[in-house]
Amino acid sequence: MALAFAAGGALAYDGTKCKAPGNCWEPKPGYPEKVKGSKYDPKHDPKELAKQGNSIKEMEARNAKRSANFKKTGKWVYDVSKI
Amino acid sequence: MAKDPENYAMPGLDYTADNYSTMDQINTGNVKDLRVAWSFSTGLLNGHEGTPLVIDGVMYINSSFPNNVYALDLNNPGKIKWQYKPKQDPAARAVACCDLVNRGLAYWPSDDSKTPDLILSNQLDGHVVALNAETGEEYWKVENSDIKVGSTLTVAPYVVKDTVLVGSSGAELGVRGYTTAYNVKTAEQVWRKYATGPDDEVGIGDDFNEANPQYGQKGLGLATWEGDAWKIGGGTNWGWYAYDPSLDLVYYGSGNPRPWNETMRPGDNKWTMTIMARNADTGNLKWGYQKRRTTSGIMPASTVMMLSDQKIDGKDLKLVTHPDRNGIIYTLNRVNGDLVRADFLDDTVNVWTHVDMRPGIPVRNPEYGTRMDHKGKDICPSAMGYHDQAHDSYDPERGLFYLAINHICMDWEPFMLPYRAGQFFVGATLSMYPGPKGDRANYLGLGQVKAYSAVTGKYKWSVMERFAAWGGTMATKGGLVFYPTLDGYFKARNADTGELLWKFKMPSGGIGYPMTYEHNGTQYIGIYYGVGGWPGVGLVFDLQDPTAGLGAVGAFRNLQNWTQMGGGLLVFSLDGKGPYSEDVNLDEYSTEITTDGT
Repeated sequence: MALAFAAGGALAYDGTKCKAPGNCWEPKPGYPEKVKGSKYDPKHDPKELAKQGNSIKEMEARNAKRSANFKKTGKWVYDVSKI
Repeated sequence: MAKDPENYAMPGLDYTADNYSTMDQINTGNVKDLRVAWSFSTGLLNGHEGTPLVIDGVMYINSSFPNNVYALDLNNPGKIKWQYKPKQDPAARAVACCDLVNRGLAYWPSDDSKTPDLILSNQLDGHVVALNAETGEEYWKVENSDIKVGSTLTVAPYVVKDTVLVGSSGAELGVRGYTTAYNVKTAEQVWRKYATGPDDEVGIGDDFNEANPQYGQKGLGLATWEGDAWKIGGGTNWGWYAYDPSLDLVYYGSGNPRPWNETMRPGDNKWTMTIMARNADTGNLKWGYQKRRTTSGIMPASTVMMLSDQKIDGKDLKLVTHPDRNGIIYTLNRVNGDLVRADFLDDTVNVWTHVDMRPGIPVRNPEYGTRMDHKGKDICPSAMGYHDQAHDSYDPERGLFYLAINHICMDWEPFMLPYRAGQFFVGATLSMYPGPKGDRANYLGLGQVKAYSAVTGKYKWSVMERFAAWGGTMATKGGLVFYPTLDGYFKARNADTGELLWKFKMPSGGIGYPMTYEHNGTQYIGIYYGVGGWPGVGLVFDLQDPTAGLGAVGAFRNLQNWTQMGGGLLVFSLDGKGPYSEDVNLDEYSTEITTDGT
């Protein structure tokens, strides 16, 4: 791949040295390859990370009930407790 | 319908999103006679983005939060035909990163006897509504985004065939971006695709990037992140769309990865910051070109996509052109994603050393990098980009793009912070100020307007503006380029030379883009006023700390000396000709005048 070896000689991360097509990240000098366990470890809480996915699943389920009811009755009811 | 000058039926005028009108009633010879024909106040303050729609003699107007929609009959715009005023959870205001803006409405023309014509509107609290275009009644209403996890909606909906596409906002709060297609008739979800994560959720199949495998193909939505960071990885798309019916591809950009502190997310962070071409029916990606962030974390964004057909190096090409936040204007072959051109928006860009066109990548300049325990200085462009949400235009006869550009640089220092769903997840302190061509002592000279050729990569003309040209442009066959400014002017320049031919002082700064339509044989030009958006946050929320508002408060400290908040629409025509100049008794309650005989 021409892309992978395009620029020679740059000492710091300049985005031109690729591990694989589309994967050209390198740590800057003095910074870790992996942040886990380093002083830059974000220490994400898995419960917090899961919140968006759960919220979307719940919205999709409510929307599916609304549109199914709409197709059946021809009337839109937003409040799913009334469907 | 978009070809009919009596209509302005979608953002950017038509599917090419070139915002170019073939009308020439208003032209370089008579633009000095342009006057206000009528106006409308939305009754709301905060930034007024986007532009109204005109369909079959009715104008549809969007507003800032709470996202009221107004319909006006163009024969008598003084009487409000209908109004829709949603009740929204006021907590939505607290999770909007950059003012309570909304970029516009979409329209779906009915193709059956059962479903009425619909106006589609996105709301800040995450709802998408379909309104009966005739009556304004709610036809359906779905939940697309959840403010409890920081997810909001500011993007305009976009209608393709019988679906409406809806983007997402909230990367500043760690929201993983997604785009959804709903069936306009039933509100059923047709597809939903994400910017990060597993291939099936991103919409990557066997033929993805087959013409340009060096862009990357399978597995990168996970492999270019460490651990589960992709789940809060950003990539929201809050900008603009374009569509090519012959290819059935929808074009848009995914936004920034999160947090801004790039030390916290090693990897290329795919597929954020990507120019995407998705199949309209399935949502699957035909191709995707990641624009690359800089070493300084200046991150490409969801900015405008304009389609054109041009001859470059002797080849007739179908193109998509995209002026990005990172200081580069990209032009790609919209059929297969080949990179055709990548030029700096201004020669003061310093985060890249150059663009290496052979492999097709801009090369980062480590000197202007950001990282933990380091304050980067004099980085150009700033996080606001050399181009942001402006909807620009393209004149196919002249082959020129008219770009509304920012000229803002910055100092940047990241800090560590935890992720808590529903809270801001930025992790950087910024100071922003005018670029090298502006007046850094007085914080003026923050914008530019330029005419660019993707064939030559050159700028036919450029002009400095006092503040960032934030709203966007419209070009017309009359040889004119129109745009609003943050300091409250609405301007017209000669499309060939850039000469300023006309301007009007609006009640407040403009952050929307101009539109035009014909009604009863007269050409009108409409523009929203109402300053706000990211550059207006200091003025809107009365902030003083120069690093507040994600650094915008300092850069735009002088904006308040030229404008205050507002919210409404101005409609112009030659000599101010309009419904009431034609017939002064139109819309009078009574024309009978009684006297007492003296």
